[in-house]
Amino acid sequence: MTDHDSVDHSSPCGSSGAGCAGGAPGPAPAAGTPGLGIFDKELLDRCISCGFCLPSCPTYALTGEETSSPRGRITLMRALETGDLAPDDPTLTEESSFCLGCRACETVCPAGVEYGQLLEQWRDHQWGGRDRPWIARVLMMLVSRPGLLRLQGLVRRHARGPGGKAGPRDATPAPSHPPKAPEQPVSLMLGCVERGLYPQVSRAVRRLCPEVDVPASQGCCGALHAHNGDSATGEKLARTLGGQLPGTILTTAGGCAAHLAHHLGRDRVRELSEYLDEREHRPAGQVTVDGRRARAALQDSCHLRNGLGVTRPPRELIAEVADYVELPGAGQCCGAAGTYALLRPADSRKVLDPKLTEVETADVDYVVALNPGCLRQLEQGLRRVRSRARAIHLAEFLALAAEPEPGRPDSGPGAADPREP
Amino acid sequence: MPAGTGLAGDLASIVGKDHVRSDPGALAAYARDATSLFHSRPQAVVLPGSTEEVAAVLRYATARGVPVVPRGAGSNLCAGTVPLTGGIVLVLTRLNQLLEVSSEELLARAQTGVSTATLADAAAEKGLLYAPDPGSRTVSTIGGNVATCAGGLRGLKYGVTRNYVLGLEAVLPTGEVIRTGGRLWKDVAGYDLTRLLTGSEGTLAVITEATVALLPAPAETGTGVAYFDSLAAASRAVAAVIASGIVPATLEFLDRKCIDAVEEFAGLGLRGDAGALLLFGDDGSAANVAGNLAGIGDVCHENGALEVTLAESVARADALLAARRCSLPALSRLGSLTILEDATVPRHRMAEMVDRIDAIADRYDLRIATFGHAGDGNLHPTCVLDPDDGEGADRAHKAFAEIFAAAIRLDGTITGEHGVGAAKLPYLADRLGDDQVALLRRIKKAFDPAGILNPGKLGS
Repeated sequence: MTDHDSVDHSSPCGSSGAGCAGGAPGPAPAAGTPGLGIFDKELLDRCISCGFCLPSCPTYALTGEETSSPRGRITLMRALETGDLAPDDPTLTEESSFCLGCRACETVCPAGVEYGQLLEQWRDHQWGGRDRPWIARVLMMLVSRPGLLRLQGLVRRHARGPGGKAGPRDATPAPSHPPKAPEQPVSLMLGCVERGLYPQVSRAVRRLCPEVDVPASQGCCGALHAHNGDSATGEKLARTLGGQLPGTILTTAGGCAAHLAHHLGRDRVRELSEYLDEREHRPAGQVTVDGRRARAALQDSCHLRNGLGVTRPPRELIAEVADYVELPGAGQCCGAAGTYALLRPADSRKVLDPKLTEVETADVDYVVALNPGCLRQLEQGLRRVRSRARAIHLAEFLALAAEPEPGRPDSGPGAADPREP
Repeated sequence: MPAGTGLAGDLASIVGKDHVRSDPGALAAYARDATSLFHSRPQAVVLPGSTEEVAAVLRYATARGVPVVPRGAGSNLCAGTVPLTGGIVLVLTRLNQLLEVSSEELLARAQTGVSTATLADAAAEKGLLYAPDPGSRTVSTIGGNVATCAGGLRGLKYGVTRNYVLGLEAVLPTGEVIRTGGRLWKDVAGYDLTRLLTGSEGTLAVITEATVALLPAPAETGTGVAYFDSLAAASRAVAAVIASGIVPATLEFLDRKCIDAVEEFAGLGLRGDAGALLLFGDDGSAANVAGNLAGIGDVCHENGALEVTLAESVARADALLAARRCSLPALSRLGSLTILEDATVPRHRMAEMVDRIDAIADRYDLRIATFGHAGDGNLHPTCVLDPDDGEGADRAHKAFAEIFAAAIRLDGTITGEHGVGAAKLPYLADRLGDDQVALLRRIKKAFDPAGILNPGKLGS
């Protein structure tokens, strides 16, 4: 299968006649067979097939089948690369799409396989040109054209505008522990999805971090493209955005952070929670529900956790302003996975469901997200099961602590009594 | 995937079409396990959901003479689950119910596909210990552990899987479901089929359920590390520790090549001038652990240790254990084709064995580093190669043949815990002798008259 598998496997049997089965079927291309060049050989060779990734994989948990595990998918990639499987093999098509791309396997891999990179290369092949799912094609077209992005002008201004709705609220509150001044400019990235769906997130950041700039002209970071079979455009957009945003790029989306860090360098990019943590920002106030301190859980952003290794800062920030509750599956994918929730809604829900049960068991008021996709996924899921818990972005949550929402006796979820059905 | 007709269609009529795979992708994925260099595609993959379905598949296969290879998580390192002659891969991951954990009886009962860690965690929740801890415990299934008699880091003090299996439910290749042993510590009714099936590597019957013994969990664990000039010195210290009346729960070693690779990879601050690193640990009451660790430290000093450090905190202990745990990945980064073996010798001959391994590696111009379990003489010589170096792989096979022969000459064995599988079958007769190999074949024939179960492995 792989180049290193290609050594005649019967050779260990050669020295003895102790009944080693001789003619094993199965193609075994000669050593040194050149691959098709779909994958970076170094990356593909790194996997030693130990299988340590299996228990970390959400899709393997759903099926128990090798083909939907990271190790099995790498075996499929190798078969594609060596020509053992036809380029249009339906199992290749299905498994490259069934994978969430959460990269949880990378954190348990003893050999350091960069699975996320391999998946991008795989989807470049599977989803190149007309084979890309149409939903992904439409989204990628929307976000990669500056002109079309400008159609969101209204909401974008909304996101960029002075934090908050009314003037006086922008001046307050002063953080109880003024953060250190940044050494270099910090540019807030608005995010192509977020600025449309959740403009209040960027507004909240502006309130929390008045020192950041919000450059007017900024495109998409390209993560969407990289994860949907067009890594070349993904890289190009990342570099363009790097040129548009001077200094440190501050983002409120874990997925964008990991993509930008890969192409622009880790030093250029900070996700909100790590930025606040590094600058020793101590959030002010607290989030209350019915006069008591709120109970809040976290949904890690997969690429923030598995790609960039950021796990501590968001937990500590939440714990400053609420009673933090760790969900057993906080670090596991919520099923949003970029476009996955749109492309494979049924599988996406299957991945999410155990988490919704955990939220109910934990009896929390809020589930805090670090990525707009996760936020949308949790919002929809919690609404579907009529949970009293509310999904909220970290930026909004911290802003809410600093200043309860106007018109409400306290900052509880729901308008009046959150416990009403 | 639609199962189609023929073999896959027949299997679909037994388990349902959703649980049969015959698409080329699935066949490629199930062509291999965690063993380098072995792969061979089956004709179909079947995932039964009950013991009855397992029995029906086996009856069908015996009637048609189709090979069946049972498989858990596929984490074995002896090509034990590679379908050498095609046929059916019987995947047991759907049998994943943990049936009971009993504090009163100190036992657990689990279906074959429950992962070792799941079982151990459930026991731990009740203050109990499932002692066998193979390196792949988060991945491996309890059925696979029993089938390979998996070992682990606690072998010296706690033994291996076979010491904890009380009873099994298994399906014979001819379809009969048998229950061996049970919930009893004492039971001599009949041949000990529980032990015979333990380590039978899926060649005699398909294990569908296991009852295993648990222990009260120890209150405390402690860890320390000692450096020596040479592995021979470390080996003398190990012998002296055990002679002093201490049986530590952990006694692991790294040779110089491993220390270098680990240090380069992980930067743990390991000494660069040492010839061997010995990691030791114990568990039990706090007083016992403290006393034993101090005792081990003293004996190491008396036997020429360059330095002995006891971990003061759990975090520090974890950092020390990391050195042992990251040996294989550290080595694999030097070349992604790793051939990991587990030749085992009596404890007092370990240093001699490592010297021979080094000499063999030099002669074949190979990079072979050795780490392993010093307490039970279980060595893990690991050959690191460039994946494109086909000629290097040939040399590695010749070198390992010599390593196995050397182990046997030192009263050791060709495999301590990984199993024979396809990888070490050529060397089995050297270890057992022709009479025992012939007996193995007769036993296999008694269980499996049609010879369908995991052919090309033990008993073939």
